[in-house]
Formats: sequence, C-alpha cells, structure tokens
Amino acid sequence: MNFTINMSKRIKNIIAVLYPLYFGSRYLKGKRWILYSVICISIITAGTRLLIPVLIGDAVSSVQSLNFKRLEYFAILILFISAISGFFQFFVNYGSQYISQLYAYGMRNNIFEHLMKKKFLFFENQTSGDLLSRSTMDVEGTRVFIMNATNQLLPTLFMILFSLIFLFILDPLYALIFLVTVPVLILIGVTFQRKQRVHWRRIRSYYGNMNEELQENIVGNRVVRGFSIEGEETTKFNSTTKSYFDEYMIVARIRGFHNNLMPLTISIAATAILLYGGYVSIINASQVGNLVAAVNIFSIMTFPISSLGRLIVFSENARASIQRINMVLSDEMQEDIQSTRRSKHSGDLLINNISFTRGKRQIFSGVNLRISQGEIVGITGKTASGKSAFVNLLPRFYEPDTGSILIGGRDVSSIPLSELRRTIALVPQEITLLSGTILENITLSDTSLSLEAVVKAARIAVIDKFIESLPDKYDTRVGERGITLSGGQRQRVAIARAIVSEPKILILDDATSSVDPETELEILKRIRKELSGTTVLIVTHRKSAIKFADRILRIQNGSVEDIFDLEEDLKGIVDGANLYRGGDENATQL
Amino acid sequence: MPHSYEEEEENFLRSEKSSKVFRRLVGEILSHRRDSGVLITAVIITAIAGTLYPLALGFAINGVINKNFTDLFIYSAAFLGFYIIQFFSNRIRTVSSTGVAQKTIKELRDRAFTSIQKVPVSFFGKVKTGYLISRITNDAETLSEFLTFQIPQVISGISTVIVSISIMFYLDFTLTLYALIVIPLLSGFTLSIQNKVRRNYLGTRRTIAAITGNLAENISGIRAIKSFNVEERMAMNFDKLNSDNFAANLKAARLSSFYGSIIRVIEATGIAIVLLAGAQQLFANAISIGILVTFVIYVQEFFDPVTQLSQLYNSYQSSMVGVTRIYGIIDSPSEESISRGSIKIEKFNESIRFENVSFSYGKTMALKNISIQINKGEKIGIVGHTGAGKTTFSNLLLKFFSPSSGRIYVDGKDLTDIETESYRKLIAPVLQEPFMFRGTILDNIRTFSPEASDEFIIGKAKEFGLYPLFENLESGLESEIGEMGRNLSEGQRQAISLLRAFIRNPEILIMDEPTSQIDPYSEKLIISSLGAFLKDKTLILITHRFSLISLVDRAVSFEEGQKVEEGSFSDLLKSNGVFRKMYNIQHNTDT
Ligand SMILES: Nc1ncnc2c1ncn2[C@@H]1O[C@H](COP(=O)(O)OP(=O)(O)OP(=O)(O)O)[C@@H](O)[C@H]1O
Ligand SMILES: Nc1ncnc2c1ncn2[C@@H]1O[C@H](COP(=O)(O)OP(=O)(O)OP(=O)(O)O)[C@@H](O)[C@H]1O
Ligand SMILES: [Mg+2]
Ligand SMILES: [Mg+2]
Repeated sequence: MNFTINMSKRIKNIIAVLYPLYFGSRYLKGKRWILYSVICISIITAGTRLLIPVLIGDAVSSVQSLNFKRLEYFAILILFISAISGFFQFFVNYGSQYISQLYAYGMRNNIFEHLMKKKFLFFENQTSGDLLSRSTMDVEGTRVFIMNATNQLLPTLFMILFSLIFLFILDPLYALIFLVTVPVLILIGVTFQRKQRVHWRRIRSYYGNMNEELQENIVGNRVVRGFSIEGEETTKFNSTTKSYFDEYMIVARIRGFHNNLMPLTISIAATAILLYGGYVSIINASQVGNLVAAVNIFSIMTFPISSLGRLIVFSENARASIQRINMVLSDEMQEDIQSTRRSKHSGDLLINNISFTRGKRQIFSGVNLRISQGEIVGITGKTASGKSAFVNLLPRFYEPDTGSILIGGRDVSSIPLSELRRTIALVPQEITLLSGTILENITLSDTSLSLEAVVKAARIAVIDKFIESLPDKYDTRVGERGITLSGGQRQRVAIARAIVSEPKILILDDATSSVDPETELEILKRIRKELSGTTVLIVTHRKSAIKFADRILRIQNGSVEDIFDLEEDLKGIVDGANLYRGGDENATQL
Repeated sequence: MPHSYEEEEENFLRSEKSSKVFRRLVGEILSHRRDSGVLITAVIITAIAGTLYPLALGFAINGVINKNFTDLFIYSAAFLGFYIIQFFSNRIRTVSSTGVAQKTIKELRDRAFTSIQKVPVSFFGKVKTGYLISRITNDAETLSEFLTFQIPQVISGISTVIVSISIMFYLDFTLTLYALIVIPLLSGFTLSIQNKVRRNYLGTRRTIAAITGNLAENISGIRAIKSFNVEERMAMNFDKLNSDNFAANLKAARLSSFYGSIIRVIEATGIAIVLLAGAQQLFANAISIGILVTFVIYVQEFFDPVTQLSQLYNSYQSSMVGVTRIYGIIDSPSEESISRGSIKIEKFNESIRFENVSFSYGKTMALKNISIQINKGEKIGIVGHTGAGKTTFSNLLLKFFSPSSGRIYVDGKDLTDIETESYRKLIAPVLQEPFMFRGTILDNIRTFSPEASDEFIIGKAKEFGLYPLFENLESGLESEIGEMGRNLSEGQRQAISLLRAFIRNPEILIMDEPTSQIDPYSEKLIISSLGAFLKDKTLILITHRFSLISLVDRAVSFEEGQKVEEGSFSDLLKSNGVFRKMYNIQHNTDT
C-alpha cells in the first residue's frame, strides 16, 4: 500500500522533470506543431543511431563467417544510415534551438507586456534588479532546459526504449538484465532531483540579489564615493557571490555522487551481459556478433544516461525559474492600459469623500473638494503630509479606498486609462527621463508631435534657450536618467514633456524644487498665459509660487482645506514667511 | 558623430581575438593550483579508464572466440573495474570542475565590482546601468557551462584521443592510419567555418545585451511610461530588440546544427573505412576479430569528443565574447591610475583654494575660470540660476571630476596629488538627489556609519529636528523604505540624506540644495540646531532657499559657469545682481 503510494509519487516526480517543457509549450502560439515534429524526428534519429551498433555487430559476424560481400554491404549501410541520421539530427538540433528561442522570444515579450500592465503598487515591493533578472536569466534558465529536453532528454528516453527493443531481439535475457536497471536509474534520478531542489531556488534568488546590489551600487555611485563606502559595498557584494558559489558547490557535490551512479549502474548491467553472453556463446560455440552488438549498445548508452543527470539539473533550475517568472505573469495588480480612444475630458475636478491608506497608515479620510476648469491651485503642507499621495490619486496611479473622483462629471474609474492619462499630466517629484535625445524625451507621449509644438512646450518650460545653446540642440543625448543635465534642467524637460500634448489638468508635484525662484516664476507665468483653460495644481513649499496661485489648499492631518489668509495661515509652512532678514544682521536695514 | 560606449566596445570585440582572451582566462584558472590540479588529474584518469575499457572488451571477446573462460572473466572484471575507477574520478571531476568554474566566475564578478568602485564618475555618464549589470551577471554566467562541462570535456577529449591513438597504433599500425584518414577532412571543415561561428556569437551577445539594457531602462522608467500611457509603444520597441535576438540566435543555431550533422556523417565514413580495411587485414590474418571490434569502438570513442566539438565550439565562442566584456570592465582605467594621487591627508587645516578652474563635461564649458578661497571654519553659500554650474562646482570639490584647466589646492597641496579616499574621509556630502538603499531608515544611516547604534541615530535625529518627519511612519526609523526609498516622501528622503551626513560629523560639509523639498517649518528646526553643530566646521552650501542663507558667512553667485558676485549677505543685497533679484522674488518685495 505504502509502496504503491510511494511509487506513484515517484513517477509523478519523474514526469515533473518535463514540466518546464509543458510550461514552455504553452507559449509557442501556433508553432506547437514544430515541437511535435521535432519530437517525432528525434524518435527517428534515436532509432537510427541505435541501428548502427546493430549493423556493426552484423558486420563483425560477417567478418567472422568470412563473407566479404556481406561486409561491404553492411559498411555501405552504416554510411547510409548515418547520413540519414545526420540529416535528421540537423532538424532535431535546429528544431530544438528554434523551439527554445521561440519560447524565449515569446516569454520575454509576454513578461514585458505584463510588467507594463502592472499597477504602480506592484513596483513598490519589487526591485528593478530583481525584475531584470526574472525577465532575463530566469527566461534563459527555462529556455536551456527546453532546448536540452527536445534535443537530448526526449531522444535519450526514446533511445532507452529502442535499446530495450533491440536487446530483446538480440536476446530476451539481455533485455531483462537491462530492464532491471531502469527502476534503479529512476530512483537515483528522483533522489537527485529532490535533493537539489531547494538549492536551485536559492541560487536563483541570490542571482536576483546580485542584480539588485549591482543596480543600487551603480545608480548610487556618487553617494558611495562621496562617503567612501566602496569597501563596505564590495564586502556586501562579495558575500552575495560567496553564497551563490556555496550553493553551487552543494549542488555539485550532490551531482558528483548521483549523476555518476547512473553510468555505473549501466556498466554493471553491461558486464553482466558480457559474462552471460560470453559464457553462452562459449558453450554453444555461437557467433559473437550479437554479444558485440549488445555491449556496444550499452557503451553508446552510457554517455546519454550520464547526461540525464545534467538534464535533471537543468530541469530543477528551470522550475525554480518558472516560479519566479510566474510572479510577474500573474494577473494580480494589473491595470487595463489598452484603448484606442484618445479623447480628452474637461478639466473640472470633483472629489467626493475620499479616504486613502498607505500600508496601515490612513493618509486621508473624507476629503471633499471641487476645482473648476482653468483654476490654478497651489497645494502646500508639511513634509510627508500626503501632498504627493493626493495628486497621485487623480490619474489613478493609486486608488482611494472609498469615495470617488470625477473629472468633467465622469468617475475616473470609468474612464479608460489611456484617456485619463492624456487628460491629466503629472510631473512627479522624482523625475525619470529616458536615455535618448531631448526631443525623444519631450515627445514621449506622442512621437508624431510637430517640432513647433515641442519648441513651444520648451519655451513654456523656459528650457528653450538652454536647448538652443547646445551644439546638437533638440538632438542632444541626455544620458541615462538624464544624467548629463543639471537638476533644474531635468525638471524643466519633464515639464515640457508633460505640457507638450496639452493636457486639461496639469499637476506639478514640487516639479520646480531645483529651479531657482526667478525661473520658476517665469515658467508659471508662461503656463498661465499659454495654457489658459488648463487646470493647474502646483504642489510647492515656496511662497513665491503659492502667491501666484488663484487658490491655495493646505493638506494637514488627513484633510485638505482652503487657505484664505495667506500670511496668517501659512506661517511656517511656506518658505520666506519667517526669515525676512536672512542671516545677516545688516539686512534689517532693507 | 561620437560613438557610444556600446559601439566602441562592439568594435573592440570584433577586433579582439578569442584566443588571447582564452589564454588570459586559462592563466587565471591555473592560478587556482590545487583545484585545477585535482581537476586535470581526475579528468585524465577518467579519460584513460574510459579508453581502456574497449581494450578489455576486445580481449574478453577474444576470450569468447578462443573459448577461454579465464580470459572472459578476467577481462570482464577489468571492464567493470575501469567503470568503477571512472565513477570515482568522475565524482571528483564533477566537484572540482564546478569549483574551478564557479570560483573563476565569482572572482571575475568580484573584480568587476571592485573595478566599478574605482572607475571615474564620468564612466557612469557613458555606460548604461543595464549593460553593466548584464556583463557582470549574464555574461559571466556564460562561463559556467563552458568551464563546468566543456573544458573538462576538452581535456578528457584530448587525453582520450591521445590514449586511443596510441593503443590503436600499438594494436595495428596500418589500420590506425586508415582510421585517421578522416581527420584532415574534419579539421579542414571546422577551420573553414570558424570565423562565421564567432561572428554569429557576437551577434547573439550583442542583441541580448541590448535587451537587458532596454529592460533595465524601462523598468526604472516605468513611472514615466505609465503616466504617459505609452506602454504599448515601449512594448513594440522591446519586441524589435527581442526579434533581433531571436534572429541572431537562429542564425547561430543553423550553422552549429549543420556542423553537428556533418560531423556525424564523417564519423560513419571513418567506421566504414575501418570495417572494410579491417576485413582486408583480417583475411590477410594480420589481426584478430577482437582487435577489429576494439578498433570500431575506438573510432566511435574517438569521435565522441569530436562530436562534442560542435557544442564546445559554440560554448567557447559565446563565453569568450562574454568574458571579453567582463575584462572590459575589469580593465577600465581606475580613477587613481588617472590622477595618481598619493598624498594622504588626515586633517583639514587651512583652506581650499580654486585657482582659475575651468571645467567642461564635453563640448561646452560648465565652469569658467573660477577662483575662490574657502578657509577652514568658513561657511560659504552658493546661489545661481538653474544650470549655472553649482552642482558642477561641488562635483569638483568632491573630486568626482578633475578640473579641465586650473588647479584646486587643499591646504596648499594640489587636489589631484591627494589620495582620494583620505580626502573624502574629511567630507560628507548631501547630494542634490538623495539616494537611498533598500532596507530600513536605520540601515541607510548605518551603511555610512557602521559604528552608530540605533539609540545614537535616533538621538541625533531628534537633535537635528529630523525625527518628527518620520513620526507618522508605521515603524518609525525601522520602516522598510523600498527600492530607492520609494515608500517615503521626497522630503523624508532628503531628511535621511541630511542625517547621514550629520552623523558622519565631517570637517567639511558640502550640501547641494539639501532642503529643497522640506517644508519651511521643519527646515527652521533643522537650521536652529545646526548653529552649534557647524561650529569649527567648514560648510559649502548650494541653495535657492534664502532661509538657509542665515547659516553662511559669505555668498557667491554663479552665472553661466562664472562667478559673478561674492560678498556678505548685505553686500550682495546692496549690489544689483542675481542675488538680490532672487531674494526679491522670493520675498515679493518688488516684482
Ligand atoms: N509607497 C508607500 N508605501 C507606504 N507609505 C508611503 C508610500 N509612499 C509614501 N508613503 C507615506 O505616505 C506619507 C505621505 O507621503 P507623500 O509622499 O504623499 O508626502 P508629501 O506630502 O508629498 O511629502 P513631501 O513634501 O516630502 O513630498 C508619508 O508618510 C510617506 O512615508
Ligand atoms: N554629466 C554631465 N555631462 C554633461 N553636461 C553636464 C553634466 N552635468 C551637468 N552638465 C551641464 O553642465 C551645466 C552645469 O550643470 P550643474 O549641474 O552644475 O548646474 P546647477 O547650477 O547645479 O543647476 P541646478 O540648479 O539646475 O541644479 C549644465 O548646463 C548642465 O547641462
Ligand atoms: Mg511629495
Ligand atoms: Mg544642481
């Protein structure tokens, strides 16, 4: 009873070795027939490969019986069969590459599309380094298995099957001896598989860590240098590579034993056949051809069988990878980005009783607000009071727990994201420019924009003069994350990028913090003049910007309220309200 | 048109010989004397045992034909014995080959990482993060397969070939010559496609690096992509790179599969020749049937490593391309090798002096002819329009870059002659863009001051008025802040960046817009605590915030890379320059 359960579990485990192949086949989209043909052809090649030792055996027999004509015939047959086998082998090798590359191609696109569809929330708990390793190395891990499964694993399995048949034809007892080894091989394989599983999971996750640490170290290189913590960083990285190394060594030790046990098992069976067959043919004075063929079959088998262990390694690696890939492919935390409709809504904003929590913290509760089209609204409040959280709700980067947000009278949750995010443009506090030219960055939202529109946007963002002063003008490359621009220049390019497609609602989330007040004011003036009718929300700490607004909101203790008496209500909240004197005593004279 | 780093590297790779890189790699592998010694021994023993078993088989068969039971038993036992020897030597080989491979990979990665810590800052302006990561992780990984499986295969292949040819010659000279007829055919064929194979692999590595680069950029720029709803366009761009990679891989696969098939036919030709020639010999009574059987097996044995060659060759080319890329990072000239500073300084005693310093990142000048002296204990404010060169000035001070012309003296010594690390130990910067590591807030401080205890950090946070900014977080300073500190507000991030610098208690504090995102109320708390802290410290403060100017003794205005004003707060307000204009705008005294 127990034994049967054990056995069925084992068999399940054995089949699970092939799971990554099944997983991969689901991503072949209509090209699955190639996979099936490769498998069929690999059956043929496995058969023809095994035919050769049989033919050699026959050839030897004909030598023994001094039949030269027959020998010639067999020699030519061997050549002919090899040519056929070589011909088919081409299709097996190329086909398995094709299938596996097709899988990698499809899977990468699939992962990419899923990543693009994920909500903002998803990325808060992920690191880019780890996501990167999931979409590259983990795909590669499965691909390698799929390739080897189609060009080695399956052929090997068929070869084992055919060997059995050939051996049976040669002598049923040979087949019986061979059959005895099969459960032993399975047992070794399964134990091997089970023992290394956890280590492969660790290897894959250490690999992810390596990516994360590299990413942080490279992006944060100035902090690392500025504080001279290169030593500590190196120690940290070395310890990750050390853990990675250690896990690999554990797997190697497991592999060293189990993997080599497989050919040993086969060779014991071969020796048994040699002894039995030799004994029988001495007694019967029969021909040795059959015996030669049988032993030859075994010697051909040892290499593929010892490579079975390697395939089990690949399979475990692939399964650990699939687990990590599935995290990205799950439908959780997705938003619907598709829609061809690109019309814009009006800039009227109505907020009804919204509450919002971050983690366990309530950031807003019961906020009501109406902002009409064309208003310029300043939003201020202490650090971490929830200003960014508030503005991020409007384009649905995050969703409120309760309440509704209406734009032009329509609930934002019923507006397709493509329309909503065309209607609302948000310039975040933390700017991400993409590497490429300034022009490519400004036209991110729409590549078909005319140069005039781009220049106009640049002018409003007061970055036009600077761009014109560059040797390559709008075609200047900005480097990764816009690294070759100054802080304020980067922010202004981002503003130009947001206004170029003429949104109805423009949100500047402290988007001019690195810009000097004079330039900032100029930007605001140009926005008011050139983008009249656009609702503008300006999150800021600066008094000069606050004063510019038509209306001021303050976020405090989870609520949003209007401010009417600037001097009194904003004491200590906006810059410049307190320190008229600067640091210099003499300044009082002014 | 200036070449990008990737293009330059591509050109370099094309010209670089695989064999040169391979020799260097082998040198490094052999430097692990013990491991590689064990590996080679194990491989050779395996190979010899592997080549001897057909001999045992042949003798056993002869025993059968001669009806000699003793021979049959003895040689059968030997046959099994060789397999048992192989089992043990193979076990050692498996472990030691993984050891050698993974050790080499680990070392390459570690060295590349160390090298990245030493390259000049300008390096990061040229190379994309994704490309760098791809090199250190993916490219290093290509070595794994090559070193773990292929290299031992080659060594064993070579020993198999040597042993089997010797035995064959020993058994029968003429027949061996027949067996070797196919060799020139084989090598000629292999050599003829060599260059093509290499070119194909360059293609696959290049396209995969492009994929990684694009992914890295899109993942880190995901917020911009989503806010402009251009996900689909990005997916289309990605698909293009992805199909390039697909095509490149198929191209490589076609050639390698073709190679594999041809090898198989050549092998069969070899066997057929041996059979026919062997039969002739047999009729001439020159050899026994046993020997003929042995010969046939040897020809197969001999071809096994050769068939492997097709795989080996692919793996060799692809990993050599990968390794060349890592060597590219390891060999990047370090900052020290450029500036060669050797003077260690322990303390800042007198002054920092800029003498006619100009600097350009590329074509246009970012700083022009700056002369300025900052004495120990002085507090200097720097103001100016966006893009005026303020951050650039601090970059030079931090020795991230060196002046294009002119000199910077620290205590009378040229900064380029001073050892960077000892100099940076005197300084703590607050950069314009705060950078956060994953982990908690406390982790983010401790990374920079490992000796600081939790209580100490919390105490300091309170002392500098920063603590209230974190009070509303779930677990206070123990909160996990996510990648790049994304789970915090921007102002909170700046606060951490400030605390980091304060806790280092440096002699020189360089702050670039340190409070641009912090509300003035909190800022006031910080400022009021700084007075005592800054006593005896030297401060260089870049700011647009006039509230912070209360901390400085002297202010300098920059305009388009030039110093246009310098003086005390009141001096500058009296003159009619940039400083006064900015002041007025912020205080609305006249507009
Ligand atoms: N991803 C997140 N997960 C959990 N909490 C978060 C996350 N992002 C922000 N918070 C918390 O929400 C609160 C409000 O943050 P928000 O970024 O909205 O502040 P803010 O008013 O914009 O501040 P600042 O002026 O510094 O930009 C902060 O306490 C912050 O720590
Ligand atoms: N890595 C770089 N490569 C090329 N050019 C650069 C680089 N960094 C800055 N620049 C250029 O040098 C000039 C000065 O930049 P800097 O960052 O010093 O300005 P800043 O005064 O700090 O401005 P902001 O107030 O906007 O931060 C700018 O025109 C900028 O485009
Ligand atoms: Mg914010
Ligand atoms: Mg700057």
